[in-house]
Amino acid sequence: MSSTPYRLPLALPRLRRAEGEGALAGVCAGIAKSLRVDPTLVRLTFAMLAFAGGAGIAAYGGAWLALAPESGPTPSPRRRLLGFVALAIAVAIALRGFGFSDSLIWPAALCGAGILLARGHSGARLVVGLSLAAVGVIVFVDQNATSNGRDAAFESSAVAIALLLVLGPWAWRLAAERDSERTARIRSQERSEMAARVHDSVLQTLALVQREAGDPRRVAALARRQERELRSWLYPDPRADDAGLASAMDTAAAEVEELHGVPVELVRTGDVPLDDRVEALVLAAREAMANAAKHSGADEVSAFVDVGDDEIAIYVRDRGRGFDPEAVPAGAHGIAESIRGRMSRAGGTATLTSSADGTEVELRLRRQS
Amino acid sequence: MKRRVVLVDDHDLFRAGVRSELGDAVEIVGEAGSVAEAVPLIRELDPDVVLLDVHLPDGGGHAVIAQVAPERPGVRFLALSVSDAAEDVIDVIRAGARGYVTKSISGADLIDAVKRTADGDAVFSPRLAGFVLDAFRTGVAPVDPELDVLTTREREVLQLIARGYRYKEIAARLHLSVKTVETHVSAVLRKLQLSNRHELTRWAAERRLI
Repeated sequence: MSSTPYRLPLALPRLRRAEGEGALAGVCAGIAKSLRVDPTLVRLTFAMLAFAGGAGIAAYGGAWLALAPESGPTPSPRRRLLGFVALAIAVAIALRGFGFSDSLIWPAALCGAGILLARGHSGARLVVGLSLAAVGVIVFVDQNATSNGRDAAFESSAVAIALLLVLGPWAWRLAAERDSERTARIRSQERSEMAARVHDSVLQTLALVQREAGDPRRVAALARRQERELRSWLYPDPRADDAGLASAMDTAAAEVEELHGVPVELVRTGDVPLDDRVEALVLAAREAMANAAKHSGADEVSAFVDVGDDEIAIYVRDRGRGFDPEAVPAGAHGIAESIRGRMSRAGGTATLTSSADGTEVELRLRRQS
Repeated sequence: MKRRVVLVDDHDLFRAGVRSELGDAVEIVGEAGSVAEAVPLIRELDPDVVLLDVHLPDGGGHAVIAQVAPERPGVRFLALSVSDAAEDVIDVIRAGARGYVTKSISGADLIDAVKRTADGDAVFSPRLAGFVLDAFRTGVAPVDPELDVLTTREREVLQLIARGYRYKEIAARLHLSVKTVETHVSAVLRKLQLSNRHELTRWAAERRLI
């Protein structure tokens, strides 16, 4: 399906008032600017119309009331309505000046008002507007029938009704088509986005689950990761900033779960923006979570991120077999370098307690003000 | 004596799962899938514990509590949900639930949680502890300074729960009895619920419940 937006072939430029640029209220200057013609031409037109029974003056006043200034608030509906009435009077005066009779002008005014009203979206306005237009047609037919004879009246009313019958449905269909096309386009965009998301995440996971069906731990971890991802998409956490500690820890916990197949129960309060030091803290915490998942033998790792007023603390705990921190060979990179070294370079501390009941790593980092 | 439990969740499959996990440890006397179904059912059965989903199609779990609790003070509610939104969980707790556990909880832990809820204890999962710490700090709860500020001890207990410690471990670490830890947790729950007392009263009055 093509995605180029449909445009009406004829669109009038939006008229505005150029305040401060004209001699009076900037009506002529504004209209000239919107239509891209010489302002003098517009001013001349208004001046000439002013001689046609004062139509130009009424039109100027109406335009001043109805047009929005280039900068500043749009006029109130009341003011606009007043403006339109003045414009209509101007048109009527002008038509009379050109020799049209009242029998044409009044029906035309009724039809115009009806069409304007019917442009609203509510059903009541449509009905009232169409009735006004119909009354206009009838009055026209009636008056011309008495003045100019029946033949001419039938002829002109036939033309009017035919025009209405042809143009009405066409305009109606055009508007409806544009609306439905827009709705369909938005819907199809939404659907393809949803399909892409489901394909990238849920379907992939289901495929993996089928392949790894023999390994319940792996399946559980896959399901958990998928759940977490889907949930963060469906119910985004408004408190978590994309570039913050909270979302970085979410990602780290999800990665550890995925790599080692052990669920990480992450609890966090508060958030701070990421900088080099906070990033080091996240990396140290990630290493601690990965160690717990890899070596402790526990079926779950708990992590708690507590952002205090002047200190950030992260606790990583498992209920695994525990180990003797002193007995870890010096070459073991994980704790010495990835946790302790990182934290001390960032100006924080890492404390490790381990017993037969499990291990807890406590990372602390003062917040910089 | 077996605890009498009512299960309120709109997913049949999930209810079946909970039923089989709870097994013979408790007696499931009724099930409901919506607020409209749950309220008359709980009034009629008067169970010990209601396992309550935070999200229901015709309103939250808090709506069930608000409609039932005033006339059935003996019924205790335990929220059970996959929901991660802190506000939803806090709403249910403030309405009067004795605790909140996530749906990934193991069968044995769930049985334990039901028993403790029936005994009137508070059941705090690590996640709920985190939510509550957040609520008191960021002012999600309209805090009455006289009443609603957590004591240092209560905060310590909550932080340890959030770190994944069980009540027994917390007691050992803080040199307290398990009973004292439970008292602290119940006090936190009470503060959270009282902080919302006026709002809750208004809510109930609007619906002519009291």
